[in-house]
Amino acid sequence: MENVIIVQSLNKSYGTKKAVNNLSFSVKKGEIFGIIGPNGAGKTTTIEIMEGLRKKDSGEVSILGMNPEKDRKVLNHRIGVQFQATSIQKKMKVKEALKLFAAIYNKSNTGDEMLKLLGLEEKMDTYFDDLSGGQKQRLTLALATLHEPEIIFLDEPSMGLDPHARREMWNIIRSLRDNGTTIVVTTHYMEEAEKLCDRVAMIYNGELRALDEPSRLVEDISAHFISFRSPDFPLAQLHQMAGVIKVEHDEELDAFKLYTEDLQSCSYLLFKIAQEENYHISDYKFERGTLDDLFVHYLQGGESA
Amino acid sequence: MTALWQLTLLETKMFFRDKLQVFWTFLFPVLMIWLFGSMFENQAPEGFSFASLYIPSWIGVNIVTTAFFTLGTVLTGYRETGVLRRYQSTPLAPWKILFAHTIQGTVIFCFSAVVLVVFGTLMFDLHAPVYLGSTLVALLLSILAFFPFALFLTSLAKNVGTAAAISSLFLNLMLFLSGATFPLEMMPDVLQYIAKILPLYYVIELLRATWNTSPLWENWTPVLVLSCIALVSIMLSSVFFKWSGKAE
Repeated sequence: MENVIIVQSLNKSYGTKKAVNNLSFSVKKGEIFGIIGPNGAGKTTTIEIMEGLRKKDSGEVSILGMNPEKDRKVLNHRIGVQFQATSIQKKMKVKEALKLFAAIYNKSNTGDEMLKLLGLEEKMDTYFDDLSGGQKQRLTLALATLHEPEIIFLDEPSMGLDPHARREMWNIIRSLRDNGTTIVVTTHYMEEAEKLCDRVAMIYNGELRALDEPSRLVEDISAHFISFRSPDFPLAQLHQMAGVIKVEHDEELDAFKLYTEDLQSCSYLLFKIAQEENYHISDYKFERGTLDDLFVHYLQGGESA
Repeated sequence: MTALWQLTLLETKMFFRDKLQVFWTFLFPVLMIWLFGSMFENQAPEGFSFASLYIPSWIGVNIVTTAFFTLGTVLTGYRETGVLRRYQSTPLAPWKILFAHTIQGTVIFCFSAVVLVVFGTLMFDLHAPVYLGSTLVALLLSILAFFPFALFLTSLAKNVGTAAAISSLFLNLMLFLSGATFPLEMMPDVLQYIAKILPLYYVIELLRATWNTSPLWENWTPVLVLSCIALVSIMLSSVFFKWSGKAE
């Protein structure tokens, strides 16, 4: 698959604060590419540089083979952007916003199919301000896709949505991808990254920490652990067990988490000791880490480094 | 319909959806004239009627109101909430956005001027401008001076609250010190000097003169002052106008 976005050694500072630090990645045609990280990690800065709304300090950015700073006029016809802030006039009606954007892009239709998909048909005469959070997000998404762009940039598309609305939003985004659109999405919900994105770039303090398919990222050893409860297993003994990387202990629940490279042999050891010493073990589970765990792991790594 | 006209039309519609704006732009001046008229109607100087002095003044005041509130404060709000930035990622040319708002402001101002003239004619026997052409040119010149002036001042504000505060300060200062509401002759000397550094003073001078006594070309001072303000503020506003409230 060809790369439609290439970012190389991108740097951007605000005063003395480095917002983006030597960031490199590329996005393939037709994939959902996630940029994830905590608030203030540099996600929005990165996406705005790709949209041509912000100037980079150094590095190379190529969008559909063009330079977003110099070729913004041409690119604006080929990309669609949904903003983080709900950036439509409060007293504008849904149908007015659609008509205005259709006129801006020189389109005669207002994307009727999309409206059906988004379920906005009954809200045509409603002011933007009177829409629910989910409806606002859906409208701004409709405005971003009206001109059938090749790349869509979505900045926190499910911010403030309830779980049901979030799932609907994901389905819409997936159907856009299935029609051949490339989608770049920022989020700080790890669940969203895991379930929605084909590949994710994890950013912290403006630096790239990890880049892969979500399922491959969570296969990272550090994200796998054994969980169990025991009222009498001594913590020190767990620490001494062969192959154990880290132990987390919740004293109130008597719950333990054992991080290890080898789940099987560690389990064997655990039960062997318990049997010999007559410790009681309950609620035993193999746990597969989520992106959330991995994320916390990287954050902690970042702070100690 | 092109995006430019669509946007102009929409912004005009949205103005009328904001009841507060409608009150301050259309009703408030009428109420003030009615109030002052009932107090001072018989105290107009020799050869003038109350209406022929104060209707043109309030038309001038309305240029300020539209410039600061309909244009400046609203655009600051759009900058704050990201509306202006949203347009930047579309093919809509930036000048078209400003042009649409300028036309919208002018249309709303014209509406308000017509309301004032009709009210003045019905209630206070206002006569038509003696030099109609000069009056129209004077209005155009005043708009050219005040719209960019207000855009510049409000673009210094970070949010709608500050922009509204700046706007109210300027409007009130000019309302009371430029001779629009009280005759300047009633005021102490110091205040009369201050009046002459306020741009609205020249708007009112010019509008009153062309409405009653002399054409544009016999009023060089206000014409010159307003032209300078127009030039300088067009330059300042184009340099300082920002599309985004965030740091670059």
